[in-house]
Amino acid sequence: MTDRINGGSPVVHVQQYHTVPTAVIVGADQRDRYLNHSETKTLLAFLNTGLQRLEVARVLAQHAYEIVAAGGKRIFVGGNPMDYLELPGESVGMPGSEYFVAEDYLSPKTKQTKNGQINRTVSPGITNPVDWVKGLFFSGKPSVPSRFRAIGIADYGSVRMKRSMRDLDWFLRYITYAIVAGDTSIISVNTKGLRGVIPEDVTVATTVALREMQWKARSYFPSESAAAALVKQYFDVLIADYQIEKPSDRPRNGVSKHHQGLSLPASYEDSASTQPRWVMKNNLPDLEKEAVVKAAYRQVFERDIGQTYGGELSGLVSQVKDGRGSMESFIRQLGKSRVYRQLYYEPYNISRAIELACRHFLGRGLSCMGEFQQYFELVAEKGFPALIDTLVGSQEYSDYFGVETVPYMRGLGREAQECRNWGPQLDLFKYSAPMRKVPQFVTAFAGYHQPLPNQHPYGVGNDPLEIQFGAIFPQETRDPKAQPAHFSEDSRRILINTQPQHSAFSGIKHDQRSIVDKAAANKANRRSTLQQKTDYLSIDSVQHSVDAVILAAYRQVFGCEILESQHHTKAETQLKGQLITVREFVRQLAKTRAFRRAYWENLYVTKATEIIHRRLLGRPTYGRRENNKYYDICGQKGFYALIDALIDSGEYLETFGENTVPYERYVTPRGLALRAPTGPKAGPNLREEPPIVGDYMMRYQPSISPISAPSSRLANVDKNGYSTPPKRQPEKAPDALPETSSQEGLQASPEENPASAPDSDPVEVIV
Amino acid sequence: MSVITQAIATADREVRYLSKGELDMINRFFDDGPQRLRIVSVLNNNVGEIVEKGTQRFWQRCPLTPSNSDNSQFQASCLRDQAWFIRLISYAVAVGDVDPLDASGVRGAKEMYRSLEVPLRNLADCMRSLKEVTLEMLSIEDAAEVGPYFDYLIAGLMP
Repeated sequence: MTDRINGGSPVVHVQQYHTVPTAVIVGADQRDRYLNHSETKTLLAFLNTGLQRLEVARVLAQHAYEIVAAGGKRIFVGGNPMDYLELPGESVGMPGSEYFVAEDYLSPKTKQTKNGQINRTVSPGITNPVDWVKGLFFSGKPSVPSRFRAIGIADYGSVRMKRSMRDLDWFLRYITYAIVAGDTSIISVNTKGLRGVIPEDVTVATTVALREMQWKARSYFPSESAAAALVKQYFDVLIADYQIEKPSDRPRNGVSKHHQGLSLPASYEDSASTQPRWVMKNNLPDLEKEAVVKAAYRQVFERDIGQTYGGELSGLVSQVKDGRGSMESFIRQLGKSRVYRQLYYEPYNISRAIELACRHFLGRGLSCMGEFQQYFELVAEKGFPALIDTLVGSQEYSDYFGVETVPYMRGLGREAQECRNWGPQLDLFKYSAPMRKVPQFVTAFAGYHQPLPNQHPYGVGNDPLEIQFGAIFPQETRDPKAQPAHFSEDSRRILINTQPQHSAFSGIKHDQRSIVDKAAANKANRRSTLQQKTDYLSIDSVQHSVDAVILAAYRQVFGCEILESQHHTKAETQLKGQLITVREFVRQLAKTRAFRRAYWENLYVTKATEIIHRRLLGRPTYGRRENNKYYDICGQKGFYALIDALIDSGEYLETFGENTVPYERYVTPRGLALRAPTGPKAGPNLREEPPIVGDYMMRYQPSISPISAPSSRLANVDKNGYSTPPKRQPEKAPDALPETSSQEGLQASPEENPASAPDSDPVEVIV
Repeated sequence: MSVITQAIATADREVRYLSKGELDMINRFFDDGPQRLRIVSVLNNNVGEIVEKGTQRFWQRCPLTPSNSDNSQFQASCLRDQAWFIRLISYAVAVGDVDPLDASGVRGAKEMYRSLEVPLRNLADCMRSLKEVTLEMLSIEDAAEVGPYFDYLIAGLMP
């Protein structure tokens, strides 16, 4: 029961396919009643035929190889198509997944036998003669359309061959799933639209192959048996669905500047089509009419209306049942009734009442601030009934519901959703929506004009660490203030420079000579020379002993001193023997098992990349654009590629070069506050009220401690919420700093001063 | 997720056919099916009695609760909600999984009762009474089948 919530904006899962039990339950739940007799019978029938269907699925899986081979051999000539059928590769070990590349990696083969998967028999070069003769006499071998031409394997190319064979295997696999589920929806969801993906010139051939597979699959069961009929039925559905042209996406109805013209994949709408729509027609039997009226009550009042309110509404009900009034006018009257007023107008403030009215009469939430203002003015000037008139009389209402249909919720599955009101809209569709008295949409829209909150672009959480990693905590779902933070791809986090200006590393001094040496060694790398001259908190293999470098590297990469046994002695030896550079040493440390275990395997991707990024590049990530890049790397290539990408990045080379151990360069404002001697007092408040963050940072005066003297704590937020690079304070004579350092600081010549070097801008966009 | 969707999802993620173990698991699910449907019908037919007895027991146990006052609206909504919970339990028993309980039964209900300021502890007590009444009505095997769903609900509703 984990809620995966990001930034207060809930994730929704569409039910993509149904099994018999889920379909039955969904049907009953929507009508708000117990399983009735016929539904129970459906379930019973499903259970009773269960054994048989499992047996069919088992046999099909057992003979999967032969069946796919039959399909492949029917349409391909000039070779053995089964040579191209590959077993699936392994998914790379992602954080949280059960498989890790490094240690407990199982090859596909061992894993298969471990899972007890059916071993595929080796392909017979020539078909068994007995089978062949049997095949000749087996009736019902599918005929082939005259348009069909067999495909030469050599002409087709091995890439396309592999894809084709893989697809045939997939088709069979989904058939076995669907047979087990007892419902064909799993096939429909996965095959409709495939025709648009698979090249058009092989459509006929694929159909032929599927028919051949159908025939072959049926041959494993006695003809005329129920099992054979089952196989035939599911293959028929598959072939029929495959031949359908790719259904086009369903765009949102109505064109208005408020809408974003989004479109919904047809498969979503198909999966939602099991939900009933209630339409009032004159020729319906009375019982059905009752049900439709009940549905209207539920939509508008969110409850059943019994005798209590009968007096006021009975006249309306009889009108709509007799056909004297349309459903549209019935809904309108319900909205203007005293009951509605008591339930949904009087207990709320106007803003919330408008939001609820939108749900009841349009089946959606407010779309934008402009729409809200329009409605608000209407209510203020002409009263609530005028709002009802506008909503029911709107073009949108007639587009969606017409005069006969009862309004319904237009959630995901019904139509594409806007992202602007995503979280509030999903909340509004909940059963508990009327319990919430606080208006939600208005505050969300207003939030878009506020400065960005001080949080991670991928969410807000109560992570005790100094940055919010986009963590996911159930408490956040209940916070009425939780709203999606409107970080765009270009929003950048405010980061504060923590590089000390002067030697702060205890006991380490260096003389002019070593600077010269270093300058000679790194002539090409002006940036790193600058750093060494200004004596950043860095440890360099040229100027420090190897042991100090190693110790510092462990501290930086692991964040603590690790056990002797966890040391990477091989790499240490190499470093001492000057076989590898410090950069390479850091890379090897980051690829150790201990590091992987500490910062990758047990963390979710956002947190893992964030921490690794801080360890290796010395700063938190800037924002979504950068994060997305890392997600791609993690998702496609895994942990080791992430390490390589960071260490080979231009920023790493430029900042640390080959010989410097990475050090922490920037922290978040919250991180800085946490490290303040007075403690993170303002922490929680900062998140609640983002506008004061800037003020707080302005007023913040840390007592000067040599290890973490921030060079700049000015972070500006402009009115659009974008952070501007903190301006570095012009260097003043650092009187307050330790003696040795201040002398060196004064000695530094102007071009060595990083503040004057244009490329040393502390917050430089690298994404 | 029911046994079947769970198995399909796992197999699909690993791009393979359903394994023997999974098929056996589904098979067991089919075997228990008639028993579960029988329980569902027992619940369906006796919901009135269950709710009535359960409420009496609940009121004995916690007399100071809004529904035990003279306010008939509170009483009625208490009874309605209990019937609603029994219905969710019957769904869960039919599917053989806590999924139907989860979204509206635990998370939604908790949110709703919290915003209505109904003490969740009382609600959990109420569910406990319902559980006892229901289990008394069923045979031992059936009770063993239904019990866990109530336990899940109670654990989820605990504040």
